[in-house]
Amino acid sequence: MKIDRRLFVNFDWILLVLVLVISCIGLLNLYSISCTLTHISGKPLYIKQFYWMLIGLAMMLAAASIDYHFIVRYGYVIYCISLLLLVSVFIQGTATHGSQRWLFFWGLSFQPSELMKLTAIIALTKYITENKINEGYHIKSLAIPLAIAGVPCLIIAIQPDLGTALFLAILFFSVILFVGVNRKTLVMFATSGIVLAPLCWFFLKDYQRERILTFLNPERDPLGSGYHIIQSIIAVGSGGIFGKGFLKGTQSQLKFLPEQQTDFVFSVFAEEWGFLGAIILMFMFLALILWGLKIARNSKDLAGTLIAFGITVFIFWGVFINVGMILGTLPVVGIPLPFLSYGGSSMVVLMTGVGLLMNVSMRRFMLQP
Amino acid sequence: MEKKSKLITYDPGEFRRRFNVLIWLMICAFAFLGTKMWYLQAIQGEKLSQRSMNNRIRLQEIKPLRGLILDTNGRILVDNQPSFDISIVPETAKDVKGVIKRLEHLYIERDMKLTNTVTFEKKRKPFVPIKLERNIGRDKVAVVETNTLDLPGVIVDIVPVRKYIYGEIMAHVLGYVGEISTLELERDPNGDRKRGDVVGKLGIEKSINRYLMGKSGGEQIEVNVSGRKLDVLGKVESVPGYNIMLTIDADLQKICWDAFQEKAGSVIVMDPRDGSILAMVNKPSFDPNLFNRGISDGEWSKLLSNPLCPMQNKATSGQYPPGSTFKLIVAAAALEEGLITPDTLIYCDGTFTKGDRTFRCWKKHGHGGVDLYRAIVESCDVYFYNLGAQIGVDTLAEYAKRFGFGSKTGIDIPGEKEGLMPTKKWKLNRFKEPWQVGETISLSIGQGFVMLTPLQLIRAYCALANGGVLYRPRLLKKVTTEKGQIVRMFHPEKLSLLPISKKNLEILTHALWGAVNEDHGTGGALRRNESDVSGKTGTAQVIEMAQDEEDENTKNVPYKYRDHALFVCFAPHDNPEVAVVVIVEHGGHGGSAAAPIARKIIDGYFDLKGTRNILHVAEKRR
Repeated sequence: MKIDRRLFVNFDWILLVLVLVISCIGLLNLYSISCTLTHISGKPLYIKQFYWMLIGLAMMLAAASIDYHFIVRYGYVIYCISLLLLVSVFIQGTATHGSQRWLFFWGLSFQPSELMKLTAIIALTKYITENKINEGYHIKSLAIPLAIAGVPCLIIAIQPDLGTALFLAILFFSVILFVGVNRKTLVMFATSGIVLAPLCWFFLKDYQRERILTFLNPERDPLGSGYHIIQSIIAVGSGGIFGKGFLKGTQSQLKFLPEQQTDFVFSVFAEEWGFLGAIILMFMFLALILWGLKIARNSKDLAGTLIAFGITVFIFWGVFINVGMILGTLPVVGIPLPFLSYGGSSMVVLMTGVGLLMNVSMRRFMLQP
Repeated sequence: MEKKSKLITYDPGEFRRRFNVLIWLMICAFAFLGTKMWYLQAIQGEKLSQRSMNNRIRLQEIKPLRGLILDTNGRILVDNQPSFDISIVPETAKDVKGVIKRLEHLYIERDMKLTNTVTFEKKRKPFVPIKLERNIGRDKVAVVETNTLDLPGVIVDIVPVRKYIYGEIMAHVLGYVGEISTLELERDPNGDRKRGDVVGKLGIEKSINRYLMGKSGGEQIEVNVSGRKLDVLGKVESVPGYNIMLTIDADLQKICWDAFQEKAGSVIVMDPRDGSILAMVNKPSFDPNLFNRGISDGEWSKLLSNPLCPMQNKATSGQYPPGSTFKLIVAAAALEEGLITPDTLIYCDGTFTKGDRTFRCWKKHGHGGVDLYRAIVESCDVYFYNLGAQIGVDTLAEYAKRFGFGSKTGIDIPGEKEGLMPTKKWKLNRFKEPWQVGETISLSIGQGFVMLTPLQLIRAYCALANGGVLYRPRLLKKVTTEKGQIVRMFHPEKLSLLPISKKNLEILTHALWGAVNEDHGTGGALRRNESDVSGKTGTAQVIEMAQDEEDENTKNVPYKYRDHALFVCFAPHDNPEVAVVVIVEHGGHGGSAAAPIARKIIDGYFDLKGTRNILHVAEKRR
């Protein structure tokens, strides 16, 4: 394979620096959390996360170096592999917190549903680039993209991991709406959503219903399901403008905050660094997202635009849903905060995604031979 | 090739507008999050920061020690003593059920068993101990302590419990304690009682619970989310309850208990000079130590179903017809109303007829001509039938009420009864029937509707003895702090004066002296060398029966129909300092059943006084 010199010239250093800074803030934050989490066996979380980050960086470079057209061409293959992994969770998976989400190999735990988010974007890209319809998608032409997102969505919902399933659906609709859907289909989606929502209520597990009711009124059961959100709001609010200081967050250090290393990392950060720290972090995320949109816009072809767009909204929704939940404006769903939440799968998948963003960015001036 | 050309000819321009919208959407989304952050952290920050402080600091109660109860000489009657509880800490035990099984097995090997069935709450925290057994014996403590390795997580707690040193001897006076009930919590006036508090349930423990309880202390502790204690930030020690000194004399109480060997009844010893109760004994009794850590259902129902009512404080809530002891009140009324003089003679031939009914004297063949003195000394019924008929029920009731009958005495322990002093109006209200003259005749010898508590009776006689002052019976002497500083003194309370002139009082008390010390006196059992006791016997009929039979066949009458025996007396005659009332339920005659008990108590009282004086003098010399 011939390596073009222009690839190095056009390497997206800004993207790399942004991601590295955010990830390092995440590491620092995990250090604050995990120095009190003594009960977890083995290495401290922040060390583990650091290793995951290194793996992620390697994946990022790998994803950046292989031409994204090549990746898109094998989009369905990659998609099928990750679908297989998702199904194998039921065969090998281990239940944590009452649901099966994890795969174990070589002593590492891995969450195929995280990978699914990325591969679904690639598969969608492949379909859309090969079946572009200028006047917008209608219901028939949407059948295959619906299946691409719908099948893993269902499997993940059965695990059950409603949050991730919902996230995948949001991702799907974001991409489809971006590409364009005709008005009739849009209305149909909207009405079927309104009709189906109450039906879904009956299929929800008790704890999921609790979460929705709690979102509507967190003080409903302050020591039960409302506990998470109340403690999170207390943590964030008690940080004030300047924060309590690194390692000094009482909410987190005293373990009032549940799941603080995964879904609630941001509460810890906001408690210790205050409004100032939180808003700076938010600006960095915004910068990353806008940069991603710029990459998508500047891409020379549809595939690049769609991949870049998909990965950018992936990050956007992750930040928006997670922070929204922590601030008590969205219901509690198990969506990790990109680059900050502890979790190997999420970290590696996101880094790989950023690698693809770089990929598109580097090749923005290159025409296909 | 066609697909590829499609990719090459892609024109990003068509997306430009969408990207512009998207960028603004994203900025708006982040602005929204930022605004919410500003709201929480800048505007609500102060408030939420306060909440986060409360979140980690909890207040843990430190229970105070209950105050001691002392007798009049400072001897401890109720103490606190350690008791042993065993609990299990699930966190340490890991396999809770298995460990309990092992413990049970260890017990069985030693012929013991786990008394409680352990119930597990669903939502328990692993470091909060679960109580397995309360108040266990030393044998069980030994089993647990010697097998700690096999019983991980099993711990022995030391908890203070009440120790009633005199056990059942003072049960009714002191009462007992128990965990506060829901009803008591609801009725708590200040709302400062909490679930789990130990409060007095009867007697002194109940009536001055507020002094005995003490004040809970607290520990400010830093906790984490699971409530586990991380650090103690501050501590306020608990304040032990105040000590209470009673007027009861423990030695005398013991003497009374020993003297009263009958099945059921009551003894009260009172100081006529100020209404102090020196001793109050009821039989049968119960052991208040049983209630310390919760009485078992079996023991409780046994106490309640006993027909002799061991839980009842008969001295204050037992209501008995006063029998002949009531004659003094009739005599006082007759003297004060001017119906008789001490010299008025009435002829007793053994019967008295009113209307179509004939009433008999206890002495079959009559006493012959009797004056007031002889009538009291020999307890002539006919004499008092005559007086009663002349006075009438309502006037009699008027006098009786001035003696404190028919109303509570106001003693310092709860559960007191009022007794009953009938009037014409009362009967009409109660039975919708008019008063019968014959009922006045019965009333004049203390039979019929009239009912007194032993406490009312002795207080009335104390008033006769002390020159006419009706005191509030007093059990409490003072409240002191742990270190002996006086918190509150309880002084004698004069409630009222008897409506009887000094002269008439002297006539009456002289006759009471005669009843003990004259040859034909009914209270001969109390005749001491010092000839210092004055008193009156009483025999209260439980049911009316032909009086002929009564004399000869007492032994054949079923227990529950036998007469109550009463005796009430005071001594020394000239300057009375001690009064005793004895009631033996279904004991028969006052002179033969109750008086000998009173005799032992009076003897005991003066012996005690003598020895104490000698000791006092000896101590002074040293």
